[in-house]
Amino acid sequence: MKKYHLVRRPVQSIRRLLVYYLIGIVISLGIGAVLLASLGINPFEYYGRMLTIGMVGNKYAYKNFEGFLKVLVPLLITSLALGLSFKMRFWNIGGEGEFLIGAISAAIVAFNVTGLPRPVTIILMCVAAMLSSGLLGVAVAFFKVKFNTNETLVTLMLNYIMLYVITYLGKTKEDWNFFLDPKSARPIFGKFPETAIMDGVKIGNFNLLWSVIVAAVLVALIYVYLKYTKHGYEIAVVGDSAATAKYAGMKVGRIIMRTMFISSALIGLAAGLTASASGTISETITNNVGWTGVVVAWLGKLSTPAIAITSVLIAILQFGCKTAATKYPSIDSNFADLLQGIILFAVLTADFAATFTLKKKEDAKNA
Amino acid sequence: MRKLVSLVLTAAFAVSSCWALAGCSGKPAETTAATTTKAGETTAQESQKPGESKAATASIKVGAIYINSQNDTAGYTFAHHKGITEGMKQVGLDPSKDLYIVDNVPEDDEKVKQAIDQLAGDGCDIIFGISFGYINAMEEKAAEYPDIIFSHATGYKSNDKNFNNYFGRIYQARYLSGIAAGYKSLALKNNNIGYVSAWGTEYAETCSGINAFAMGARSVNPDAKIHVYEISTWGDQEKERQAAQVLIDTYKCCVIGQHCDSAQPQIVANEKGVFGCGYNSDMTKEAPKAHLTAAVWNWSAYYATAMKAAMTDKGSFMQSVGNYYQGLSAGLVDISELSGNCEPETAEAIKLAKDLMISGKWDVFSGVKLVFSGAAGSVAVEQKNDALKDNTGAEKVAAGGASVGDDVIQGSMNYYVDGVTQVN
Repeated sequence: MKKYHLVRRPVQSIRRLLVYYLIGIVISLGIGAVLLASLGINPFEYYGRMLTIGMVGNKYAYKNFEGFLKVLVPLLITSLALGLSFKMRFWNIGGEGEFLIGAISAAIVAFNVTGLPRPVTIILMCVAAMLSSGLLGVAVAFFKVKFNTNETLVTLMLNYIMLYVITYLGKTKEDWNFFLDPKSARPIFGKFPETAIMDGVKIGNFNLLWSVIVAAVLVALIYVYLKYTKHGYEIAVVGDSAATAKYAGMKVGRIIMRTMFISSALIGLAAGLTASASGTISETITNNVGWTGVVVAWLGKLSTPAIAITSVLIAILQFGCKTAATKYPSIDSNFADLLQGIILFAVLTADFAATFTLKKKEDAKNA
Repeated sequence: MRKLVSLVLTAAFAVSSCWALAGCSGKPAETTAATTTKAGETTAQESQKPGESKAATASIKVGAIYINSQNDTAGYTFAHHKGITEGMKQVGLDPSKDLYIVDNVPEDDEKVKQAIDQLAGDGCDIIFGISFGYINAMEEKAAEYPDIIFSHATGYKSNDKNFNNYFGRIYQARYLSGIAAGYKSLALKNNNIGYVSAWGTEYAETCSGINAFAMGARSVNPDAKIHVYEISTWGDQEKERQAAQVLIDTYKCCVIGQHCDSAQPQIVANEKGVFGCGYNSDMTKEAPKAHLTAAVWNWSAYYATAMKAAMTDKGSFMQSVGNYYQGLSAGLVDISELSGNCEPETAEAIKLAKDLMISGKWDVFSGVKLVFSGAAGSVAVEQKNDALKDNTGAEKVAAGGASVGDDVIQGSMNYYVDGVTQVN
């Protein structure tokens, strides 16, 4: 084995990647099938329910689709936003924290700005969310640019700070705490006034939330921004080599701060939309998109369309696994998480195998 | 190089097809086995049915939303899941096919609503939510799905058609365990009794439990002092341990009561050679030399009642069941079997108090106090008019006055009674 070492494949072939992904998924589903069968559950029935996100044989199938979209939208926007900063080689793993501060800011507006029409209120909520998240992101970028702090550590720690801020707000029964339901003796987050809760376009029974439309538009905008604008080009150059960018006369510090603002503000927008669609906030409002988004952005190779497709697939996996488990009292959501983990792990391994190859040591020396 | 890749690929295919095959060959056997057992059960149920009343004929689907997992082996969700599955068997439902569960649902409106939509879509007729924070989502969804019954534990909201709340008078069981603690403290000539509590006066659930335990202990030993140590979380084994250690070492407590998830306080009592009263399950096996008796829940008493009512007529659920706050009399709460560590008078005194509560002649938080006297074999109880006072001396119920209302359960009790002090 010593004779071999890992080498990045010179040519990346999409076809090879897809074939490897397929193999990985088949293997992981196979492992899952064995586990399910050993628990006395028909794996085909389970997978059927998982891949159709429980819509077949469901009295209110459209509700499952609505629920699925509510999982998808924040994941999609957050993944795209993280992709922006990753493209610049800025390791923003603070999606959770940026999401939470956005949600808190949206809630501040929701609870305190009343009497305005619904669209105005919701836009205000989103603006507040975007500003607060964006400023948090800029702060991290500022320290990176000025003092060369490690953005991975700073964003990671901010995640926990924000998590404890929202936990504090949710557990502290005091007169000043307008976040809580005043009628409940126990601390519990209150519900937003009606004008702060998002509605949508009714298609029959199905309610297409505005946030879905916003997310779809964003995909197009970010695609154009990265591909066709000067800003997008600058991000790519800074990502390839900050020195080159500087040599070319680009203001690297400014580009990093600007991009980080856009990246975190987008996550804030996701938070504002999610809070408005939920009609309240909670400690678990992020649904872990700050973490999952990192995986999605990388699986999507930082390409906007690929990230969009990947987040749809991951959302199906997340929503579908949970939904499928509901029907079988013997398995809980820990099993659903386990299955998700196996599938993701297999896909990442396939990704690795498709990117790298084993090469004989002698060859490398000769080369 | 290519050879190696193709080798890996072939191996991967071979392995995956093996798995697929194993999956297939394993599955039919499992399925057939499952079907036979299911069929067996169905016939067994049907043969039982004529014996029972014919009233409950409609089969229903039951939905449950849990805060933890149904595969837990102890704790809150475990107790409810046990209650739901046992209740289903009692009314002739099959938990393996009539029960739909969404588990690990945090107290987050959006996630609770999604769980409810899922259960509604799967055709559930009655949905139980076991955690307090599900309250607003359940209220909202009850209006949206008028033909599904929503039943919420530990809450205080309801409507008059399809949304109730349920909880039990666990304080009655706590009073009984307090009697056991009181006798112990008398025998040991030590008036200090400790209590490891998740929360203090912030939650009526913990607060009423502490108060009832204190009143039970003081019905036997009027000089008993109850030292409460609040750990500010429903469960944290290390904190539970430390709290019990502080109560024993610093406050010289001889009996440790508890309102927290694990048996750690009892285990510490066992190690330190003192005694204790557990919660949720009989903790004698964890603390054989220390444990006296534990206040326990038997949720199936409620779940069977609720499911039976839903099977008979969903429309009249709020008339037939309504908001449900039963206690000892319905068997919803009880104490575990008294261990050999209890003082000889304990069993008789507990029986007397229990009978009074079951008959409805007396309840804990009233203007009448029980006073026990006499040696084993001739324990007597006297009902004495005495005001219910908090620990600042303010009167809550006048001497001879009636018991406080259901708000003990719904969440308004926020004071400690006489004899209770919080140490932290």
